Amino acid sequence: MADHVLTLKHFFEEARAGRLTGIRCGKCGELAIPPKEFCPSCQDRNWAPVPLAGAGSITSFTVIRVAPRGRGAEAPYAVAVVRLDEGVSLLGRIVDIPFDALRADLPVRFRPLVTGEQTAIGFGPA
Amino acid sequence: MRRVAVIGVGVTKFGKHDRTSAELFAEAAGEAIRDADVTPSAIQALYYGNVTGGEGEKQLHMGPLAATLLGIPTIPTTRFENACATSHAAFRHAVMEIGAGVSDIVMVGGAERVLNIPTDAATEYFAYCSDASWEQSVGLTFPGVFALIARAHMDKHGTTEEQMAHVAVKNHRHGALNPKAQFQKAITVDMVLNSAYVADPLKLLDCCPFTDGGAALVLAAEEVARKRPRSVWVLGTQAASDTMFMHEKRDLSRVMATERAARAVYRQAGKTPVDVDVVELHDCFTIAEIVATEGLGFFEPGFGGAAAEKGWTGLGGKIPVNPSGGLKAKGHPIGATGAGQIAEITTQLRGEAGPRQVEGARTGLTHTLGGNTATVLVSLFGRG
Ligand SMILES: [Zn+2]
Repeated sequence: MADHVLTLKHFFEEARAGRLTGIRCGKCGELAIPPKEFCPSCQDRNWAPVPLAGAGSITSFTVIRVAPRGRGAEAPYAVAVVRLDEGVSLLGRIVDIPFDALRADLPVRFRPLVTGEQTAIGFGPA
Repeated sequence: MRRVAVIGVGVTKFGKHDRTSAELFAEAAGEAIRDADVTPSAIQALYYGNVTGGEGEKQLHMGPLAATLLGIPTIPTTRFENACATSHAAFRHAVMEIGAGVSDIVMVGGAERVLNIPTDAATEYFAYCSDASWEQSVGLTFPGVFALIARAHMDKHGTTEEQMAHVAVKNHRHGALNPKAQFQKAITVDMVLNSAYVADPLKLLDCCPFTDGGAALVLAAEEVARKRPRSVWVLGTQAASDTMFMHEKRDLSRVMATERAARAVYRQAGKTPVDVDVVELHDCFTIAEIVATEGLGFFEPGFGGAAAEKGWTGLGGKIPVNPSGGLKAKGHPIGATGAGQIAEITTQLRGEAGPRQVEGARTGLTHTLGGNTATVLVSLFGRG
């Protein structure tokens, strides 16, 4: 299964169903977000999938008001780096939290952002 | 490795042009060839930088195109893409080609054209320099990347939006002294603070503009360069990278690749930050200049904002930063920016910078950052 979970396709299929999956190094225990071939800490190549609960807190955030082409109707929207309780971080779109409530250390919870065939990372209230 | 020098520089006016990026490069290259006092046929290789030509101009295979416009279509060429650090990366490789003894005279530079396409399309193409799966997918823009950095710096060090505004005001003041700059008029702190938010806490006047322009350098081996009194020597050139993913950055208030490249280049050149007289660094956003002045060792972490506010980075200050106006006022044609910075430092060290001259400058530094802080190049230059 290890090679299967390493792909982005599989990560986002799982995320679409509401499940976040990290990978843990079988040699040194390093936890990471896929895809990765080698462990950046010990250089081993022995990852195993590990479920992530999806709970975390904001490290930094911004409210994007000038959007790229195709996203103009979505703006303004907030994006944050979220440190998950397991110790790895993910970047995600913030949903259902007022802009003026955003601050560092605010607890949030993962939720998939599904648009047609596309799945992206989102975070809503804890 | 053989010693390498810059013997010729050329830069177009930065701003809006109704010419292709290849034409803009050719103008800059023509100026550099004239400045170097060589014939085009003396150039043995071309290292060419461009980022968005495939998207905005439907043009790839740009190296031979540029060489064809210069009348030297048979020389080997290579096109580089390292996001906004593109032509500084090309420069490092050109230095290595000469240093290794493969060629004696090499041209390096780049060009970009984006003002021919809508702003939201340019914003989209620039965002291609961040990760598609993790960053583009949630709508992160480049102002967004640096807004995340700004927020982290403010939370950790107490840096203020007003301190960031001082960077913009200073670089516009410098740009007003540079006839090649896109913006040649002064602005005020209030104007910056009252401009519209683009990605909180960054406002429109915290951001560099979209820019068309080209820049070119002629580099030469010591045997060629020592006969030319205006040669400026490459004392060191280093590249460093960092994780491509914003979610893996160890500390969002720092740019680790800047710190790594700076340490390496000071070691290579046998210099320290106090030896540097003039700096052209990557101020794509005001916070980027503050973080860079810390990462390059001019100020302690957390003091970059206060240094900007006190005027220490202005012309006449402790360490003049971006006398050209920087990316903020001179403009940021991303494929040309690194070569443009080296052209400015060359001009400064020659003592030919006119009203924006840093008096007595003998050692200069260039710093160019690519994309989501994953690529950084830092080079040092000197006279004699
Ligand atoms: Zn490991």
